[in-house]
Amino acid sequence: MDVRQIAIYGKGGIGKSVIASNISMALHEKGLNVMQVGCDPKRDSTRVLVGGRLIPTVLEKYREEMRIGKDENAISLEDIVFKARNGIYCVESGGPEPGIGCAGRGVLTALQILKDLDAFGKYEIDVAIYDVLGDVVCGGFAMPMRKGYAREIYIVVSGELMALYAANNICKAIKRFAERSGIRMGGIICNSRNVKNEEEVAKEFSERIGSKLVHFIPRDDIVQSAEINRKTVVEYAPKSNQTRVYRDLAGEIIKNKSFDIPTPMEMDELERLMMKFSGEVI
Amino acid sequence: MGDKRIELLSTSTERCFDPYLRCALNGAAQTVLGVKGCGTLTHGPQGCEYLVYDAFGHQDCDYTEVETLCTKLCENEIVHGGEDLLAHTILEAKELNIQALFVLTACGPEIVGDDIVSVCRDLQPQVPFKLVPIESAGFKGSEYDGIDIALDVILRKLVKDSKRKISSSVCLIAPHANANPTWMGDLEWVKQILSQMGVQVVATLTYKSTLNEIENVASAETSLLLSHDAGKKAADYLSSEFGVEQICQGIPLPIGMTNTRRWIFDLGKRFEVQGIAKRLVAEGERMVVETYRRKGGYFFEVARFQRTPAAIVADATIGIPLVRFAIEELELKPELIALRSSRPDAREILEREVDDLGISPKIVYGTDVYKTKKSLEEISPEVVFGSNIERHAIEELWTPYIFEVVSPMRRFRVIDKAYFGYNGILNLLEVVQNEFADRWRSKEKRYKARW
Ligand SMILES: Nc1ncnc2c1ncn2[C@@H]1O[C@H](COP(=O)(O)OP(=O)(O)OP(=O)(O)O)[C@@H](O)[C@H]1O
Ligand code: SF4
Ligand SMILES: [Mg+2]
Repeated sequence: MDVRQIAIYGKGGIGKSVIASNISMALHEKGLNVMQVGCDPKRDSTRVLVGGRLIPTVLEKYREEMRIGKDENAISLEDIVFKARNGIYCVESGGPEPGIGCAGRGVLTALQILKDLDAFGKYEIDVAIYDVLGDVVCGGFAMPMRKGYAREIYIVVSGELMALYAANNICKAIKRFAERSGIRMGGIICNSRNVKNEEEVAKEFSERIGSKLVHFIPRDDIVQSAEINRKTVVEYAPKSNQTRVYRDLAGEIIKNKSFDIPTPMEMDELERLMMKFSGEVI
Repeated sequence: MGDKRIELLSTSTERCFDPYLRCALNGAAQTVLGVKGCGTLTHGPQGCEYLVYDAFGHQDCDYTEVETLCTKLCENEIVHGGEDLLAHTILEAKELNIQALFVLTACGPEIVGDDIVSVCRDLQPQVPFKLVPIESAGFKGSEYDGIDIALDVILRKLVKDSKRKISSSVCLIAPHANANPTWMGDLEWVKQILSQMGVQVVATLTYKSTLNEIENVASAETSLLLSHDAGKKAADYLSSEFGVEQICQGIPLPIGMTNTRRWIFDLGKRFEVQGIAKRLVAEGERMVVETYRRKGGYFFEVARFQRTPAAIVADATIGIPLVRFAIEELELKPELIALRSSRPDAREILEREVDDLGISPKIVYGTDVYKTKKSLEEISPEVVFGSNIERHAIEELWTPYIFEVVSPMRRFRVIDKAYFGYNGILNLLEVVQNEFADRWRSKEKRYKARW
């Protein structure tokens, strides 16, 4: 079976890492072998999966080897892939310190190292989930899609204008790379911020950009509680409604067979859409 | 969006860009390597460093006079930034016996935001030589832009204000910004003329210059720009900042009889040595004419070119003065002038020349190999002044003569010849004659040539 390579994009702080970790967990429960790859110099994507630690990063290891005069061939998978107690394989790309170097290039380097070492083959991975940092602010951040590492892209939004605006921009990047590297849009995930008519806004937005709303995730304090307890919601409260939602989402993603090339909107079109649902007169 | 871009690309008339010029890093390196007793540290990957070696050759450097270092950036430094490695390398250079270390940047570190200026500022107290950071990433432009960038930093950072001007003195600017392989010969000729006029050269920016000369450049009364491709900004800076007067401004460099005469007279007038200027011109012109007359019968077969359509494809430094040379000395009819750069001051000079000579050629500024090919196809000249590149470009065309006068040159090796001045005229005629004689060697060419 081909590895399902799924990337989660979306505006900074929208809830990508929480979603990625919970669907990783939910997919693992279904008997799949899952690897979550944090593609963010912040390296906090897999934090709750490994019980609240920050695992060593690929680039950190790479740098160490370079420092002692070796090259990337000195890195072994054991140095960079960490199997959490819950069974998820966790990787963090890492990246430069804020304000220097090129994070985009760093993420790409890390992904390349994983590929060269055949991480998916070695651990017999069924699903890889890339949790990609914030907005697409430069070519580098689009690297996971650009080089075809990620095959299906899910964008996390809320009903807020800026979240949709960021999603729309990400769609532009997907569209650009769709033909060259074969990546496709899997759909939109709405992570609620308790905005008026949120699900409707997200649904209409998804359709307008030629995609679909895969799932709506309610806002729930249990997410914070789980976070404080250094666990995914799925582990922390397996019987909760929120866990059910994450399991459903994981199910939707795994059975999803319709992938699209998005058709991003113009800014004024997006604004009109927002006005329609906020009840303001245009 | 993607589609639109592809569409734009494929409908654009400028479909491909094939530059003659190297990048800004190369120009910056050419400039700093002209300073003796100093070092050059390239903060960049090793491929970029190759352009520094190239500049090393262009400046005829001596390993005992300049040191070249490179941080040899790899992926690690692009991802995490290379400031640490740069700092390390600078500290390691501590032991070198140099007066200044010029730190140049290539594209990579500038894209990822390495701040070489701050690194140099922080490390300055720890090293016994001056640190001169020059942000010369290749993407900033061509080698000519690199020359301007480097001269700008050098002048701002090193020149001391001088209250006292040395009377009858000059600083020479950008002699190395000259695609002519004879640039050192040209510079030598300029220096001889100045010395015969009793004018002191305070500094040359740059060729085997010392740091001390550069520091004192503000004591020069005048500046003399030796390029139509780069250096004007430096000349402007020196005049606005230190009142260094620019001379021989707005006229072509001294190639060919008229240009040389005009240029020498300008100098003579400024330094009030009109008598010497007159003598130099008279002697020079007599020498050329006499040589020409003596050799004329069997050696020079020139004057067979009357009104033959010609193209001049060169850097502006050589290309602009060649226009008048082609018309007055060879009686050619320039129909295409393609210059590798496009500086406003140089454009003005060329346009004035073209007006004055009463010709209306096609002019291409900032040409590249592709544009040159297209223009040559369009104009189909019978004579081309150019480089080895044009020799290949005309292979498919009905063009019998190619006078290889600018770099890259494959046919000749030049050590100390000049094209400036009176011997320069003879040297150019030699090139023309050799090519003219060559036409006998190929049957095809023989038919193409009008003889
Ligand atoms: N459904 C939810 N209900 C309540 N809080 C949530 C929910 N989803 C996420 N959060 C909270 O939002 C915050 C940000 O989430 P997360 O770290 O997953 O965002 P992110 O998109 O990965 O951010 P970044 O772009 O910085 O990586 C977290 O503190 C999390 O607890
Ligand atoms: S253009 Fe940039 S990358 Fe290329 S050689 Fe010049 S400095 Fe190096
Ligand atoms: Mg995150």
